[in-house]
Amino acid sequence: MKQVENPTILATENLHKIYRGAANPAIDGLALNVSKGSIFGLLGPNGAGKTTTISILCTLLQPTSGRATILEHDVVGDAAAVRRKIGLVPQDIALYASLTARENLRYFARILKVEKALIKARIDESLELVGLADCADQPISTYSGGMKRRANLAVAILHHPAILFLDEPTVGIDTQSRSLILENLVELNRRGMTLIYTTHYMEEAQQICDEVAIIDGGRVIACGEPRQLIAAAPESKNLEGLFLQLTGKQLRDRME
Amino acid sequence: MTMLLANIKKELLLLSRDRMSLLVLFVMPMLLVLILSLVQDDLFRATGGAATTALFVNRDEGELGGELEKSLQGNGALDLVQSLNGEGLDIKSARQAVFEGDFQFAIIVPVAFSAEINKSAETAVKSALRHQQKIPFSSKITVIFDPAVRGVYRSAVLNALQLGVVGLELSRKGAAFERLLPQELQRSMGQQLGALAPSGSQPELPKISFNWTEQSLIELNEELASPEKYATLPTSVQQNVPAWTLFGMFFIVIPLAGTLIRERQEGTLTRLMTMPVSNGSLLLGKVVAHLLICLIQFGLMLLVGRFILPLLGTPVLELGSDPVALILVAVSAALAACGFGILVGVVARSYDQAAIFGSVSIVIAGALGGVMVPVYVMPRFMQDLSIFSPLGWGLEAFLDIFVRNGTVVTVFPQVIALGSFFLLSIMIALVIFNRWRRGH
Repeated sequence: MKQVENPTILATENLHKIYRGAANPAIDGLALNVSKGSIFGLLGPNGAGKTTTISILCTLLQPTSGRATILEHDVVGDAAAVRRKIGLVPQDIALYASLTARENLRYFARILKVEKALIKARIDESLELVGLADCADQPISTYSGGMKRRANLAVAILHHPAILFLDEPTVGIDTQSRSLILENLVELNRRGMTLIYTTHYMEEAQQICDEVAIIDGGRVIACGEPRQLIAAAPESKNLEGLFLQLTGKQLRDRME
Repeated sequence: MTMLLANIKKELLLLSRDRMSLLVLFVMPMLLVLILSLVQDDLFRATGGAATTALFVNRDEGELGGELEKSLQGNGALDLVQSLNGEGLDIKSARQAVFEGDFQFAIIVPVAFSAEINKSAETAVKSALRHQQKIPFSSKITVIFDPAVRGVYRSAVLNALQLGVVGLELSRKGAAFERLLPQELQRSMGQQLGALAPSGSQPELPKISFNWTEQSLIELNEELASPEKYATLPTSVQQNVPAWTLFGMFFIVIPLAGTLIRERQEGTLTRLMTMPVSNGSLLLGKVVAHLLICLIQFGLMLLVGRFILPLLGTPVLELGSDPVALILVAVSAALAACGFGILVGVVARSYDQAAIFGSVSIVIAGALGGVMVPVYVMPRFMQDLSIFSPLGWGLEAFLDIFVRNGTVVTVFPQVIALGSFFLLSIMIALVIFNRWRRGH
């Protein structure tokens, strides 16, 4: 695991979000600092506030109070600037199923304002990275679950975002596809991209994250390098053990 | 601009991939125009917009059956059919054709019609001249009805027939009067003068001409209540084709709203909202792509009215004399439909909601706007309400062009109304869309 000493690329201060009609806040004074060039894992049980946090950081949701900045741009006041710097791999396969992967990528490249002269090269590069170059001209609807997840990733990296948000990018796919996606993420990070990564697979987080924040009830309950966090809790053998120790074993089924 | 073009291209690409939907988008409105125009053509005829077809079995051995036929054909209310499949009609075949629903009416003129009428006319005149009692009916014309025929339809046929029969009676009575009056005067004078009557020579009596049936004393002056609004009434095709074309075009609301809802459900809209693309460009991309679809639909439906409907017995659709005005109205109506589609897509939470709300609101707007029943035959209260229907604005503009040779200037108010409806719909949709994007 590399030593991260880079400047802050993402910061939140006392971030709160209370949904209309909800009894409890979804986020309750969240404070995060993410270093440039790191892979930052945002971990937590269902309903902990991960997706709400990602939604606020991606300008999809406004916080009730508090502040969040990306590359010093306020996510509320300067949302347009933030959108030019970020990429999002949503949990859903957010692609047009009747179009081919290449057609999807071409459309999103134009929306992401990739220079016209660079579009073809960026599409080829993204397809190559996720291993879909050979079937790029097939409709997405014909793809397997793993291929769809990889195509979902390819769209988000077309414009070389400074920071890439990944909301459970490996959910529901086979081991091979998951392994390839994780390799891709490490490669993207090696090229300088900062990754904010949410997952329920603790071994994945332990494997690739430089730093993790475990959140529950909308608050950060532990934050640091996975190795140091595990070392600080002798009764936990790994990140999963630590996670269960901190968040408990009770089920977190919650009505939205 | 690049973004808008990208969005238009994407929408067209998505539409082109869904060939079944594309087929439905083009074929269903054409079928709608074709079938409903034909169905409404029948209603239009029934309400006086065109001649009613009836079987006419003339068994008369004299000349009056033929005269009645000429009279009925001449007043324009009835279109008489006297043979089926090249064979002459008799009572049995006419009754069978009505029974089977092929025709709604059959008029049967009896064998001795002329003889009986002439005899009765003479009797009636003689009775009148001698102050005698009223004489009974002497001949009977039978009208066979399809029991399913509506009252208004039946009245139209009976009135037309009554008019023809009265004319015929009057002419025969007039002829009898011409002939009998001098004889009656001679007879009466002879009786009164008795022996004083000059012998050997008859007094000169005035010649009388009773050609009254062709000399009307009262002229019927047809005047419409709102001549400035309905100066000329449309033919069935001029009314029905633009009406159902607009109705079909407005159904673009459902697939258009569906694209927005699908993007929301599949997550592509969420992804797009994290990208540096304007809301206006996203929505306008959909509008422009679906506007093209609407205009193709419009062209196809006009072709149906111009070339296919006439093959099925309707008049040819006359397109007026100002193609620029026609295109302007078509574009503004299509924009209004697309604007409404975007609004429904933004407001509805599911495809089912959009489909139900979209289709019901179009049916209501269509009914108010005179698509199902022309505005001029609606009750006054409903005529007043019709000004709130975008379909009504579009239909009025099309009728101005098709029926009254309207120009761009004539249809300008309707074009402005349709354009304003589009802008208002888009603005409301954008306000809601902006609220989503700001994460409320």
